Amino acid sequence: MSPSYKTIKKLLLTGANTASRWFSYIGLAIGMLLLLCSLQMFVNIQQMVKKTNVRKNGFDFISVSRLITNQNMGKDNRFTNADIRELKSQPFIDDAAPLLPNQFKVIADAGNMIPFSSDIFLEALDNDFIDTIPPTFTWTEGQEVVPIIFSADLLEIYNVFAPSYDLPQLSPATASNIRISLRCEGKLGEKVFRSNIVAFSDRVNSLLVPQNFLTWANKTLEGVDSVKSSRVFIKTKDANNTELLKFLDEKNYRINKDRTLPGRTKQVLRGFVSALGIFGLLVIMLALMLFSFYLQLVIARSKDNLQLLLTIGYSPSWLSKNLAKQFIPVYIFVVLSALAFTQLMQWGFHHFIMYDRPELSPFVHWSVIVAVVLLIVLSIVANYKMVKKLLYRLV
Amino acid sequence: MILTVVFIYHSIMQLHFQHLLPTYFEEKAKDRSDIWGKDLVFSKGEMVKIVAPSGSGKTSLIHFIYGMRKEYTGNVLYDDKKTNQFGAEDFARYRKDHFSVVFQDLRLFQEQTVFENLEIKRQLNPFHPEEKIKEMAERLGIGSKLQTKARICSYGEQQRTAIIRSLLQPFDFLLLDEPFSHLDSGNAQKAMALMLEEAEKRNASIIFADLERIDYFPYTRLFNL
Repeated sequence: MSPSYKTIKKLLLTGANTASRWFSYIGLAIGMLLLLCSLQMFVNIQQMVKKTNVRKNGFDFISVSRLITNQNMGKDNRFTNADIRELKSQPFIDDAAPLLPNQFKVIADAGNMIPFSSDIFLEALDNDFIDTIPPTFTWTEGQEVVPIIFSADLLEIYNVFAPSYDLPQLSPATASNIRISLRCEGKLGEKVFRSNIVAFSDRVNSLLVPQNFLTWANKTLEGVDSVKSSRVFIKTKDANNTELLKFLDEKNYRINKDRTLPGRTKQVLRGFVSALGIFGLLVIMLALMLFSFYLQLVIARSKDNLQLLLTIGYSPSWLSKNLAKQFIPVYIFVVLSALAFTQLMQWGFHHFIMYDRPELSPFVHWSVIVAVVLLIVLSIVANYKMVKKLLYRLV
Repeated sequence: MILTVVFIYHSIMQLHFQHLLPTYFEEKAKDRSDIWGKDLVFSKGEMVKIVAPSGSGKTSLIHFIYGMRKEYTGNVLYDDKKTNQFGAEDFARYRKDHFSVVFQDLRLFQEQTVFENLEIKRQLNPFHPEEKIKEMAERLGIGSKLQTKARICSYGEQQRTAIIRSLLQPFDFLLLDEPFSHLDSGNAQKAMALMLEEAEKRNASIIFADLERIDYFPYTRLFNL
């Protein structure tokens, strides 16, 4: 049978400095509230930004080029193999592939249907990076027909200026039927291919031809073996990853701002919320310190009684356990109140500010509950350890 | 086989002084004393009287045995274990289960009542039911003081409270440090009778240190400190 703590309780002069005890409880509640709210907001930001970004196959594909400034204008701003290797090696980048340009002159002619001919550019990209790949998008040496994947954006632009040039506006289906002739001229020769549009790409803003065709043509017509590119496509799980944005900024790479705008906002908001969370943590630490001063004072004032209890055979570990246990209900109450407030805040945020958006939950995230449990355990263990240390000093 | 059992029985619950001497005593104190610097073994059931004039280290000896001070050379062993190697929890068990004490300076909770002082000790390791507190208090003439704060009681009443407190737990050795200094001979005899009865119930030993010999303590061994 273990002794009852009730009889012992009177021996502890807990009445001392009640104000400091209450201040510590209030401090703990405020700190806890700040920490839990910022944790919840952190989760909210994460969830909102993730959902607003349209992703394909779980990945984002972003085109990256070097930022052209007055300082680097006129220099070679193309990507070297080392640059691409560096991109690939980043943990937040799953893959990277260069957009290879043509090195020879290309003149496109749409024949009689559309009396229009123009110098164009061709690019090639690894098939993994292209959103729409029909089975006809292949080329073998000797093949007369070169398939093209056309940028949906470029078609839109064409349709905008076509009427002013007395050219017909085209639907994607009609555009696919146009027979285009490609006259490719290089230092080493000239060759004419037939071509047609096999698909439209929303992702790649270019005219894409099969990679082996471009490599072959660059070599055969212009004598160029390896080509450096000005654009690189990267494949990442999250275009809004703050680490990725930081890395790209550091390297002075320019990217599609539209796609990363939510990520930039997230970066700022996360910084703000993190600062709030750290502040909350500091307040909690201060509150715990204040409470530890209060406990030290109680123990110092009850020193004679505690010493006598130890002298007549009470175990210091039993005493510290029971002394620390006394404050557990208040601690749990304080922490649960902070949790209740956080829940209220989350509901209000969801309902009044976000108008019940489905990607957000009106309830607190599980990580907040985990934080609550951890903080209760932390406070109890910290108190118990301190009381025990002080009591062993009295032995 | 029987011999082994007897040996084990004797090796347990023995108090052993190995050349014990307070560090603040001179070596020659050993020559005058039956205890300092000697090798002595006390077994359960023995009644030990230690006659100790003022300044001979009586309270020091009680404190050394009870583990409250460690300023000595030599060893105090209980159950073949050196007590100066005990940790705080070991001492708590030692004082809760095996050793009880009546301090010369009593050491009561001054702001608690006589009953609370006794109950705090009783509930730690109850040897008696709660009713026994009242019975013992009545027997020693402090029944009416149970609800009085200790600091209001006379020194004699406090001394009787301390005596009853020491009898509310199990023990193998009861250490007494001038337990009757403020009692008249009638009250002292009543208290002694109660202590002897309680020691007998536990087959325990009493180590009784006082300034002079007391006739109503039936000692089996006598030492001059």
